[in-house]
Amino acid sequence: MKANTYPRGTVRALVETSLVTPATRMALLSRLVPDDAPPPPEPKPRFFDAEAFDTLRAACDRLIPQADRPHPVQLAGALDERLAEGKGDGWRYNQMPPDGEAHRRGLRGLNESAHAMFGEAFYELEASRQDEVLLVVQRNEAQGETWKTLPAHRFFEELLAELVECFYSDPLTQEEIGYVGFADAHGWSAVGLNELEAHEPRAIEDMADAGARNIGRIRVAAKHGD
Amino acid sequence: MQERETSDEYELRRSMVISLHNQPPSMQVYSTNETVDAVVIGTGAGGAPLMARLAAAGLSVVALEAGKHWSPARDFATDERAQAELFWNDERLSAGGNPLPFGNNNSGKGVGGSTLHYTAYVPRPQPDDLRLHTEFGVGADWPLEYGDLEPYYDELEHFLGVSGPAAYPWGPPRRTAYPLAPLPLNGAAQLMERACAAHGIRTSPAANAALSARYFQTGVGWRAACTNRGFCQAGCSTGAKASMDVTFVPLAVRAGAEVRTESFVIRLETDRSKRITGVVYVRDGREERQLCRHVFLCAGGIETPRMLLINNLANSSGQVGRNFMAHTGLQVWGQFAEDVRPYKGIPGALISEDTHRPADADFAGGYLLQSIGVMPVTYASQVARGRGLWGERLREHMRGYNHTAGINILGDCLPSARNYVELSDELDARGLPKPRVHFTNGENERRMNAHAEKLMREVWATAGARDIWAFPRNAHIIGTCRIGTDAETAVVNPDGRAFDVPNLYIADNSIFPSALSCNPALTIMALSLRTADLFLRRAQRSEN
Repeated sequence: MKANTYPRGTVRALVETSLVTPATRMALLSRLVPDDAPPPPEPKPRFFDAEAFDTLRAACDRLIPQADRPHPVQLAGALDERLAEGKGDGWRYNQMPPDGEAHRRGLRGLNESAHAMFGEAFYELEASRQDEVLLVVQRNEAQGETWKTLPAHRFFEELLAELVECFYSDPLTQEEIGYVGFADAHGWSAVGLNELEAHEPRAIEDMADAGARNIGRIRVAAKHGD
Repeated sequence: MQERETSDEYELRRSMVISLHNQPPSMQVYSTNETVDAVVIGTGAGGAPLMARLAAAGLSVVALEAGKHWSPARDFATDERAQAELFWNDERLSAGGNPLPFGNNNSGKGVGGSTLHYTAYVPRPQPDDLRLHTEFGVGADWPLEYGDLEPYYDELEHFLGVSGPAAYPWGPPRRTAYPLAPLPLNGAAQLMERACAAHGIRTSPAANAALSARYFQTGVGWRAACTNRGFCQAGCSTGAKASMDVTFVPLAVRAGAEVRTESFVIRLETDRSKRITGVVYVRDGREERQLCRHVFLCAGGIETPRMLLINNLANSSGQVGRNFMAHTGLQVWGQFAEDVRPYKGIPGALISEDTHRPADADFAGGYLLQSIGVMPVTYASQVARGRGLWGERLREHMRGYNHTAGINILGDCLPSARNYVELSDELDARGLPKPRVHFTNGENERRMNAHAEKLMREVWATAGARDIWAFPRNAHIIGTCRIGTDAETAVVNPDGRAFDVPNLYIADNSIFPSALSCNPALTIMALSLRTADLFLRRAQRSEN
């Protein structure tokens, strides 16, 4: 399947229009980092110690690389904050200890496996070696004292799912995949296959096919009133 | 040119929406010292219909709801993260060979319960669903027949305003037509429709409890038509979806019921004759006690048995928490050349029941097929858990989101001794034991899933899907307080009354003795109304 890329600016163009309800606008704006925002300060973990947090940040960079993003979603910080506040999502695997303990031990396990495989801490390894460590942890084949009592694949699954949910909750990540379901004030009248409404962004390849590059962006901009 | 809506305009629009289905300004309030006729625990598909029925019959009714009473037009954002508060987020421990996710899967919190986030898919069971043991020699028969529920299905479809086809291809002839035309088919539904046709599988627009046109609801008022916002699973902001908070709850409140929110039940108090005399709950951090003559426990397939186990009630059979079931719910996904835009339209728009009793089945019971749309965070999370994709491969796959469509099954699940709910040693923030839920698919479920996966992969390949993948999944929490004729093997009698506690009724998915091969919400509501009617008849008889 060809990769779709969508025009930038869709979310910002739509969010202030009457196509978005106030409740949705408030939710989006709470997460929408302004284009000209300064880089965020170095995060200070509240729940993890410095080594665990370095390990987590290194894992986040491999699990969800964001080198292309001027303002990367603060994934490690979000997990740290969630655990510091003791919030849960309604369930956990019976095999796993409570979330905070599971993540602390799992991150220690990542370092144990990294040492066993390459003689260094996980966060010190080069990216390709980090990927190798993550892969054996995901496959539940990792070495390390921690994994004798903590199922490595469950730790990996829980960590990955949480980071992914956080990343795809970000409005600019949703823009990247062409999602505009947040334009909710009037709903949709064109819902069938290949039926697009004016404010739904067109994939850039599709527009090139049609010889009309950037048309989606222009239409959205027109709606915004400029 | 469109300008940003002013706050005055928004308030006007909001008040128009709310006035359509809001409560009357004054809700009846009962004193905790007054012995009310009925306390209803839970305001979802189990609690809300009977609350309305009992109140309409003139009874004093107090419903206790753990969550808030949301104002959908004001509070509900079309944003998955912002809507996480609709789910039952108290931790459950998931054990067994196929541990079940909870949270955004299955249970709800707030007035309306899980109907706040159900897909509003409301097929009826077929009559043979209620006779699984007779037909196959496994599972359990229901102690009632389809004909006992049929009048309630008729009533519910008309009260809720179900949108459905003029002629439904499966099941017994219907006595009444669906009151509204079907909702429009979205991309996933169109793909499934054309591919199933090529395979000789009949399909039909599904029955959905969401309004395809503005609808006048008796005792409630006008409700607006569905805008195809596609967000049923995380809260309908327009009131078009028939969640309980915009249907039976306002009906109940108009009839004099009180809904007491943010009231978490912790204890059922009994006298020497084992009758419940009061229900103790925590509100604003304080314990309160509501005196009552009868209790209707409608907290769902996990919280209902948990409450009984904590209070050591209604369990002389040892069956409380037993026979936990979860529908087979395997999903098959693919990406298509067409623009699907899976965020639009009712998520489950198309159905087939041709697999209700497949000719080549090597399992008992059967399943239905449905098309599915999906929101991005939910889909990404499933890709992470189900396919284990990460790094650039994950982001690459997700760039195909707009071309993604799914189909899934909803199939029967046999009761099994190894699947049950118990109390763990771990305590929650209130000091109550967290529930542990054991679930492992049995041979029957594995065979059904295998049959369905093969079929759905073929259908999706025919539809033109690439990168087809299957996400194993079970849905709904069923069983745990079985209804039956024998006090040795069931928790409630065929009227829904606990064998051990004469003034305790249970009306929710926990009483299902078998899972049925269809989504449970409509049947939960039907049982709820039936339980209320049987209760009222019994009360009338004892007066005469």
